[in-house]
Amino acid sequence: MFELRLVQGSLLKKVLESIKDLVNDANFDCSSTGFSLQAMDSSHVALVALLLRSEGFEHYRCDRNVTMGMNLANMAKMLKCAGNDDIVTIKADDGTDTVTFMFESPSQDKISDFEMKLMDIDSEHLGIPEAEYESILRMPSAEFARICKDLSSIGDTVVISVTKEGVRFSTRGDIGAANIVCRQNTTVDKPHEATIIEMQEPVTLTFALRYMNSFAKATPLSEQVTISLSSDLPVVVEYKVAEMGHIRFYLAPKIEEEEEAAEPAPVQTKSKETRSKKENKPKVETAHVEAMREEEEASKPKEEYLLLEGLKDEECKLQVKPKEERQA
Amino acid sequence: MITALSSLSLRFTHHNLCLKFPIKIIVKPCFFPSARSPFFHSSPLPSTFINLRAMASKRSAFDVLMPKAAKKRNPPPAQKQEPETQESKALGSQTLAQSTPEISNSKEIKEAQIEKKSPQKEAKKETKTTSDADLSAKVAQSVVEMKKKAADFNPKKAAYWGKDEKVPFMFVAKAFDEISRESGRIVITEIVCNVLRTVIETTPKDLLPVVYLLANKIAPAHEGLELGIGDSSIIKALSEASGSKEAHIKKQYKDLGDLGLVAKASRSSQSLMRKPEALTVAKVFDSFHLIAKESGKDSQEKKKNRIKSLLVAATDCEPQYLIRLLQAKLRIGLAEQTLLTALGHAVVYAQKNQFSPPANVDSPLDEAAKIVKQVYSVIPVYDKIVPALLDGGVWDLSKTCNFSPGVPIGPMLAKPTKGVSEILDKFHDTVFTCEYKYDGERAQIHYMDNGSVEIYSRNAERNTGKFPDVVEAISRVKKPSITSFVLDCELVAYDREKKKILPFQVLSTRARKNVTVSEIKVDVCIFAFDMLHVNGQPLLQEQLQKRREHLYSSFIEESGYFQFAKEVTSNDLEEIQNFLEAAVDSSSEGLIIKTLNKDATYEPSKRSNNWLKLKKDYMESIGDSLDLVPIAAFHGRGKRTGFYGAFLLACYDSDKEEFQSICKIGTGFTDVVLKERSQSLKSQVISEPKSYYRFSENLNPDVWFEPAEVWEVKAADLTISPVHRAATGIVDPDKGISLRFPRLLRVREDKKPEDATSAEMVADMYRAQKHNQNNNARDDSEEE
Repeated sequence: MFELRLVQGSLLKKVLESIKDLVNDANFDCSSTGFSLQAMDSSHVALVALLLRSEGFEHYRCDRNVTMGMNLANMAKMLKCAGNDDIVTIKADDGTDTVTFMFESPSQDKISDFEMKLMDIDSEHLGIPEAEYESILRMPSAEFARICKDLSSIGDTVVISVTKEGVRFSTRGDIGAANIVCRQNTTVDKPHEATIIEMQEPVTLTFALRYMNSFAKATPLSEQVTISLSSDLPVVVEYKVAEMGHIRFYLAPKIEEEEEAAEPAPVQTKSKETRSKKENKPKVETAHVEAMREEEEASKPKEEYLLLEGLKDEECKLQVKPKEERQA
Repeated sequence: MITALSSLSLRFTHHNLCLKFPIKIIVKPCFFPSARSPFFHSSPLPSTFINLRAMASKRSAFDVLMPKAAKKRNPPPAQKQEPETQESKALGSQTLAQSTPEISNSKEIKEAQIEKKSPQKEAKKETKTTSDADLSAKVAQSVVEMKKKAADFNPKKAAYWGKDEKVPFMFVAKAFDEISRESGRIVITEIVCNVLRTVIETTPKDLLPVVYLLANKIAPAHEGLELGIGDSSIIKALSEASGSKEAHIKKQYKDLGDLGLVAKASRSSQSLMRKPEALTVAKVFDSFHLIAKESGKDSQEKKKNRIKSLLVAATDCEPQYLIRLLQAKLRIGLAEQTLLTALGHAVVYAQKNQFSPPANVDSPLDEAAKIVKQVYSVIPVYDKIVPALLDGGVWDLSKTCNFSPGVPIGPMLAKPTKGVSEILDKFHDTVFTCEYKYDGERAQIHYMDNGSVEIYSRNAERNTGKFPDVVEAISRVKKPSITSFVLDCELVAYDREKKKILPFQVLSTRARKNVTVSEIKVDVCIFAFDMLHVNGQPLLQEQLQKRREHLYSSFIEESGYFQFAKEVTSNDLEEIQNFLEAAVDSSSEGLIIKTLNKDATYEPSKRSNNWLKLKKDYMESIGDSLDLVPIAAFHGRGKRTGFYGAFLLACYDSDKEEFQSICKIGTGFTDVVLKERSQSLKSQVISEPKSYYRFSENLNPDVWFEPAEVWEVKAADLTISPVHRAATGIVDPDKGISLRFPRLLRVREDKKPEDATSAEMVADMYRAQKHNQNNNARDDSEEE
């Protein structure tokens, strides 16, 4: 049998909310190292890998490795019944085809038991190697979610390109086009507000925004998101789950279509700070263009919204809002 | 296991959108002793991916994404050579040994030479070589084998999967492809037979899904299980699976006319994490079932997702047939009867040594086909027939599978005749009987031992929910001694007050599903004319006279609810003619003439010579043809892509000097005629309808023509139509007249458009049609 007790029950709720729309059914694997899941979406374009290490649980007992097939929508339904402060215990006995979720209120005055039927899921487990990525981007997760959401109102795909100038997210649709550039910014009060770009090689990749938006549902899990890119590799979008693990989304790039490959709009600012951890290059810092620096220092913007191409100004200008305002 | 692995990686490379990704294959070392490239050792499994299960032969990671890595992984050829040659030797001698005794003519020898080559190929497959070309070679070879004559066919060579391994969907898709290229029934039968033999020899448990796919069905008709997928779901799934825009897919659909072809042509703009495993027949069939059973909230979404996961796994011609199967429009020219014949043949070949035919059978193949067809006609359920064939062979099939209440059988059908005299010619020595041919819905009523009742339509669909009143009535009118029965009858709309039969159009206004007795507005009367089963005893083999006796003695007539079909037994021409007049007068379509006690068994789903129908539109007075002008057309879909699929015909009103639409026509065209007409009319296309065309706004044809040709058209019936404009104002102030079931007879080269049948003539014909004097004849919608 196995029994896992998680004091921060809300974590599990958030994890489920972030993956249940991407994957319908998945196998949870439970071993002495931790509680994990790996699954692909029905079109085999995206893969989600979740790991919650055993150390992160208050109590972790797993006599032997277990694989449990669950319908994620149903599991999410049950977890929704847990209060945000509840302690969640997942347990299953050997030889049964059910799993039990137990929710205890913090004051121990209410204990609920939910039993869910398991299912047989025919899925293979892939070994995913650790790869060296050409560019790694860390940024506030809310920022990333916002960018994906904004861009998907214009187009279907996002071109992510990491250059010396920073990282550019761009799209193009029937009504016009949009570019969002984020630059490195470490001069923040709180570490989780930083944007850090580690670039060894410039990378440009195209992805379906539909999936990116789906990944962004994991935003409540973590203040920061890490996006690792290499040409010809699936992108990895990683959210840390407290101190106990991570959820990683892998997404295969789109094959670029000629007419869709957005012509990069000229970037006015030349400034960038690039850092390369691996090669230990000295930091290169270029002076910011005057005007931009002023603005930057005023509101610490991490990206700029450039003009939508091909449309009249009044209908297409994406407003540049200070970051703080948006987060509020 | 080896093949599974090798073919797996083969498939990856099919996808030319591969990405590089350092990968890690986790396989039993013994499989790939030499296959470990340095690459393997270099990247240790990340700690995050724990080997949770005892996964001995877990598959690799993102290896699909990278052909380069795949190549690297391949063991150097030199190291592999040894086992390969050994295998090829073994195989070679085996195949040769098999073929030598059979070599009798030059053709055989030629084949033997091919065989000599093939062992090498096969041996290669057996090794873990993972290259694209190899699988295609195997598939291609299998296709060649598939097309061989039955006597030369070797199922072992057609199969490229191991014994008891699941049959790849590719195998069936390729068969579809071959069948669609053939038009001869004999050739098609042979291909299908070869396919089935291969499956029986390798993986008999997949025979049922294979048969279902070939029949393009997912369950017996009476179970009412339908895929229920609209074009829009398929378009969505296609767009999501390929990563292209819906608008793009729609445009291609318009150009190609067939979503199957769109699927085949659409190249994906989205790379995959990992090419999914190749589809198997069982997987496809299971998915179809799941799709059909999906219901309730989000069911369309779930269906779409299932379609998507099938689509991403499909390669080569698979997507095309996948889509067509999903649409239930396979359209490859494989008739079910051909499939049944092939099934009979295949079983005979495959079980040659197991079951020998009865001594008195001259041609075992024909006999087997006959048995399978006969059994299928009384129990059209592959789920029963296929296992019975595999277990007990074909010769005892009719004993193991039998007709019983609860499983509908195809109704016996009648052949059309042109006149009363023709009937006398055909039946001159036999006793025959004439029955009214009621204009309603054919129904087969099953009454089970437990008292439950089911009503099945002409197509064996469950119709019980539509006729709760019939269920009530039938239980009332049966005699208490009758515990179970199957009744063949016509359900006819009936005015109980006036004791009058109402036309079919009235019946068609009834709700189709979940009808409650209290809400019924259109009453129906059961007109029973045949009895197929009574108290556990099948009557199919009995003569009609006997069946009728059973019928008459089992039920009590109740006017307006349950009546026996009116009949007269006579061979007097005059009397039959009068009876026909009477039938037409009482709103029947005509007569059905049946033999009574000779050759008078019930022949399920057969259009038999022993039942003849004499319809009023075959009588000279109504059977006049019309000369009409095509004024517009609709683009063809499917088989008719590239031509026009249907034409809008018009009659000419010489008083008003205008062409008035009268019907759409799509039947009566051979492929050649359709092509000719399409081509000749293409030169007449005009950008917008002429001001003197009268038609309904909501017809929306794709192209309009100059009035140029005159076609002679025959139709079953004339009805008042809200859509068409012919003779508007003459018969009805604002509705026109339309033709039911029009069919093209020929092109009248000798007539000009202005010589077409006039609106006045159409009106006269309508008036002459007694059937329609009913002033309550409802507007019937188009029934083409």
